[in-house]
Amino acid sequence: MTFEPTISLDKNDDQPDSSPLVNRYAQIYLKHDDEQMLLVLPSQAEISADLPWSETWQELKHLLQTKEQSWQVGTNVCLVAKDRLLDARQLQTIAETLDDVKLSLLTVSTNRRQTAVAAATSGYSVQQQAVAQPLIKAATDSEETSPLADPLYLQSTVRSGVEIRHPGTIVIFGDLNPGGKAIAAGDILVWGRLRGIAHAGAQGNTQCRITALQMEFTQLRIADAVARAPKLRPRRLSPELAFITTEGISLAKTSEFAKRYFFSSPSKAWIDHNQAK
Amino acid sequence: MSRIIVVTSGKGGVGKTTTTSNLGAAIAKQNRSVALIDADFGLRNLDLLLGLEERVVYTAIDVLAGECRLAQALVKDKRLKGLVLLPAAQNRNKESVQPEQMKKIATALAKGYDYILIDCPAGIELGFRNAISAAQEALIVTTPEVAAVRDADRVIGLLEAEGVNKINLIVNRVKPWMVEENKMMSVEDVLELLGVPLIGVVPDDEKVIVATNKGEPLVLGEYDSLPAQAYLNIARRLEGEKVPFLDLMANQGNLLTRLRRMFGG
Ligand SMILES: Nc1ncnc2c1ncn2[C@@H]1O[C@H](COP(=O)(O)OP(=O)(O)OP(=O)(O)O)[C@@H](O)[C@H]1O
Ligand SMILES: [Mg+2]
Repeated sequence: MTFEPTISLDKNDDQPDSSPLVNRYAQIYLKHDDEQMLLVLPSQAEISADLPWSETWQELKHLLQTKEQSWQVGTNVCLVAKDRLLDARQLQTIAETLDDVKLSLLTVSTNRRQTAVAAATSGYSVQQQAVAQPLIKAATDSEETSPLADPLYLQSTVRSGVEIRHPGTIVIFGDLNPGGKAIAAGDILVWGRLRGIAHAGAQGNTQCRITALQMEFTQLRIADAVARAPKLRPRRLSPELAFITTEGISLAKTSEFAKRYFFSSPSKAWIDHNQAK
Repeated sequence: MSRIIVVTSGKGGVGKTTTTSNLGAAIAKQNRSVALIDADFGLRNLDLLLGLEERVVYTAIDVLAGECRLAQALVKDKRLKGLVLLPAAQNRNKESVQPEQMKKIATALAKGYDYILIDCPAGIELGFRNAISAAQEALIVTTPEVAAVRDADRVIGLLEAEGVNKINLIVNRVKPWMVEENKMMSVEDVLELLGVPLIGVVPDDEKVIVATNKGEPLVLGEYDSLPAQAYLNIARRLEGEKVPFLDLMANQGNLLTRLRRMFGG
């Protein structure tokens, strides 16, 4: 069985824009933390210049609608607001939105005095932090060492205009439509058609992979390698997997990948057993 | 129980207003009462398409300002019992109305009509948010073009985030000969991407334009024409009837491809 190099690589040639790397985690996320859940807002520095509040709220609603409801009714939530300024009305909106999915806002963690005052006045417990304690380390030189967040499991199709960013692995139980984007620090698994843009290993981890039942992508990126869809690519019937080789991004049948390739840390790429000898 | 349905698309010019007027008339023809709300403030033309322009006295803005009662602002269609229109002000911009206000109006109308159809403006800004604020369900109109379908996909995502989950699709301006020659996306291609149920396929037909220019909904004139039939079928499907889709490809291709299409879509 031969594997033709199905897509070409233009490594680093034109990084369309630096946004995925700059505000990689400029997305709200929700995670379990012992008994409670943390709702983490991106910090002021992580969001692009004055993102309107309505956008943040839309994003929160979208997150709650699509996220698998893996919590008990009435679970307490700690809002990690970092340096975001929130007034009483905005806090109330967040509380109501959480209430719709049976979560209850209990604590607000912030390092802004005004937000702390608003939270206290509205009757929430307040954790005021003197310095911003970054929950996720910024990707500097420690590219492969920063721990990944829990996988994000999305139970719906990612439609045009939607961008999912997650500091861990993303699993999409549906399609990733053209115009939609998934950016993960870990792997990306699409249990459906991948027709939009997927970026795995966004923190620079070249070991990350992207897999889909049907690969019909617009663009794939792994770490800083980019592959565009060829003009003509016959439809494959079996699931495929994209990964980095020394030649750039390659595709293989998911079922054959494990048998055929191993990851070589020194070359930071997947190597074909047959060619290694 | 009345149903509040927004007719929306994202992309402009794909046939939202045409759909709202013709479907509204088709619903009325099925002996259901229906109120059409023109939510395209500043660019209204639903009244024109319905041929009701000269009868507009008050608009939704006047109702909101308390200058007239809701019932006074409704323009009744003399040709079709049960069809009324709530016009939009033409001289105001979209910013002059808020989602909450639109919701109030639609909810009030829902008390007196079986169907409330809201003609949404193009785009996804305030005008769109106004139009969907009261909606319990949506009819997505798209043409079989990549850009229109992409925008439709975006709008479906936004509707879902707003909790509007009952979404049906109308594919408008299908040109069978172009599909046949592979020059246009087929209805199946569109459906496969959007993944929402299909409720109607309307052919690209100059009768639609003629009816528009005359201000006479299709179902009033030559109602056995193909597009008129398409709108009547959508009205029946809204009522829950199982109506087979028109075979627009009837004159195209060989028997085998035709059969495949009939069973496929
Ligand atoms: N099935 C059809 N066959 C032929 N022409 C059509 C059909 N549907 C719509 N049109 C034409 O397309 C044009 C745009 O239609 P319409 O005004 O209904 O679109 P719209 O989505 O409401 O636009 P806007 O976004 O500007 O409000 C009109 O000239 C109309 O006559
Ligand atoms: Mg219109």
